[in-house]
Amino acid sequence: MNNTVIDAHDISRIFNPDTIPVIAVNHVHLHLERGEFTALVGPSGSGKTTLLNLIGGLDRPDSGSILINDVDITKLSPNQLIDFRLRNIGFVFQSFNLIPVLTARENVELIMQLQHEKKEEVDNRVRMLFEQIGLTDKMNERPSKLSGGQQQRVAVARALASKPKFVLADEPTANLDSKSAANLLDIMALLNKEENITFIFSTHDARVIERARRVITLVDGQVHSDTAAVHVQAAP
Amino acid sequence: MNLTLAWRNIWRNKVRSLLIMTSVALGLFAGVFVLALYEGMLKSRVRIVIDAEVAHLQLHHPQFKEDYDPSFILPSRDTLMVKLRSVPAVRYIAWRSVAQGMLSTPTGSAGVQILGVMASDENRVSGLGKKLVEGITLDSAKRNAVLIGRKLAVKMKLKLGSKIVLTFSDRDQNITAGAFRVVGIYQSNNTSLDELQVYVNHATLNEYLAIGNGGHEVAILLNDDRQVEPASREVKTLFPELDVKTWRESSPETDLMVTTVDQFSYIIIVIIMIALAFGIINTMLMAVLERTREIGMLTALGMNRPKVFRLILTETILLTLVGVPVGFLATLVTVDYYSKAGIDISSFSDAVMSGFGFSTMIYPEIPWRSIPTVMAIVGGTALVAALFPSLRAIKLQPADALRQ
Repeated sequence: MNNTVIDAHDISRIFNPDTIPVIAVNHVHLHLERGEFTALVGPSGSGKTTLLNLIGGLDRPDSGSILINDVDITKLSPNQLIDFRLRNIGFVFQSFNLIPVLTARENVELIMQLQHEKKEEVDNRVRMLFEQIGLTDKMNERPSKLSGGQQQRVAVARALASKPKFVLADEPTANLDSKSAANLLDIMALLNKEENITFIFSTHDARVIERARRVITLVDGQVHSDTAAVHVQAAP
Repeated sequence: MNLTLAWRNIWRNKVRSLLIMTSVALGLFAGVFVLALYEGMLKSRVRIVIDAEVAHLQLHHPQFKEDYDPSFILPSRDTLMVKLRSVPAVRYIAWRSVAQGMLSTPTGSAGVQILGVMASDENRVSGLGKKLVEGITLDSAKRNAVLIGRKLAVKMKLKLGSKIVLTFSDRDQNITAGAFRVVGIYQSNNTSLDELQVYVNHATLNEYLAIGNGGHEVAILLNDDRQVEPASREVKTLFPELDVKTWRESSPETDLMVTTVDQFSYIIIVIIMIALAFGIINTMLMAVLERTREIGMLTALGMNRPKVFRLILTETILLTLVGVPVGFLATLVTVDYYSKAGIDISSFSDAVMSGFGFSTMIYPEIPWRSIPTVMAIVGGTALVAALFPSLRAIKLQPADALRQ
């Protein structure tokens, strides 16, 4: 069984190529397997977010290829890419990005509705996800009524709603206090361990780095170090 | 979910959305109220044309109207009346003699149209008796009595009892003249006709014209406006040798107004809606700009472009259409009130309105036949206004949008 989730080969991304070129990602190779819990670290401007955007299909590399489950996403049309993201990739953003006019439940349901899931399936999965994040009592609250930590947990539930191949989290704990950050990491680690969900997060947060099983350090858009010595075994 | 999300999104900025909704409501109110005013004015004008000027149908000798030659008289009155009364739609009939002539006083003269009428019939067909503001009707007056319009009376400085001379051609083209005394002054809603038409006894005019019991014009009032066309066809069948005209043909300018006023009203509504569209576009562009990050996030999570387009389109259409029932209801209530109370515009446009035969009291009326078109214009405005912000939204690149 092929456990490779992401296979990025020699990818580069250059901003402002015609004026003042900024090489955000420079000939990066990245190989991630199912069930990894990987931190992408590095100083500001090192290219963490750009790399996440590239492997998440939110941006396109200027060169190189990105295979996700053997599909080269650099070859997909914009609409194909959106559909691919919907069915394969979960996102958790630094500033939560929940839709303020929808309840926590509706924020999670929205993704499944985009996938045209049946109502019964939606209801069951939403209930299960809220149980996993420990917010069943807050399902019908709007984001403004939730704390930052609670909002980010809802964002994790939303990321998982589509049953993605992996979840990309861009500095997920940056706007959280210690307790909320620890709680979020516990949930993510539990989901990773119990459901073998692949997490890749960019972070500056030492608490996150400590919990990661693999740490990739970027400097000036290049992989400076990678602790990928440990082979991550897929869950049975 | 799309509709729920769109509906909640428009209430994110309540003040801004309410302002746009109010603008749409006011715009629609203004547009439909203008339509209702026009409808009321036109219906009133048509009523005046039918009830006080030309009646539903008119019969003439086919050549009479060419130059009002008094020799072109209608067939025997008795035969004609019997046949006309056999038409079920016919309600009242007035038999008239007509002459073009000159009214002279010691101080001046004016061109006039002299109508020889039988007062009782004329009162029923054109309401002549109701128009009298001074004096008495022809019925109870002497042989050489004349009724003149107030405008003519003012112009020629005439009053009750004044003597005038009417000069005109008889059936043999001889110039004839008669002295008449003003026994009544009338005032209609059409000052142009008040200045032109004078009424004398039918027998008197016929005597001067030397046409015996003849007549030049039959005016017919029907039971119902809707019977004009079938009744016209029936009368034409009865009198194929005569010229039968409906009120639309006798008063083509009124018919033109009736047929073109809708188009003018629609132009006004389109102008109002174009102005509104800019406000709606501005509001929705601001909404898209403010939610750039969120739209980028939705695209990142998998909401495809058609769905983003539909979301913004739905928001814009909702924003526009929420004001519609409010504006329409406000129009209905206002029109309902003024359709009973009337709007008196005599204080600022008496001369203008009556100069064109319009009543200065307007009773607005919702033109229901035009409402689907108005709604289509509003809906079209919503769609057009929605396009630009929607296109803007789908052009957002998720990575760029999320960076904001």
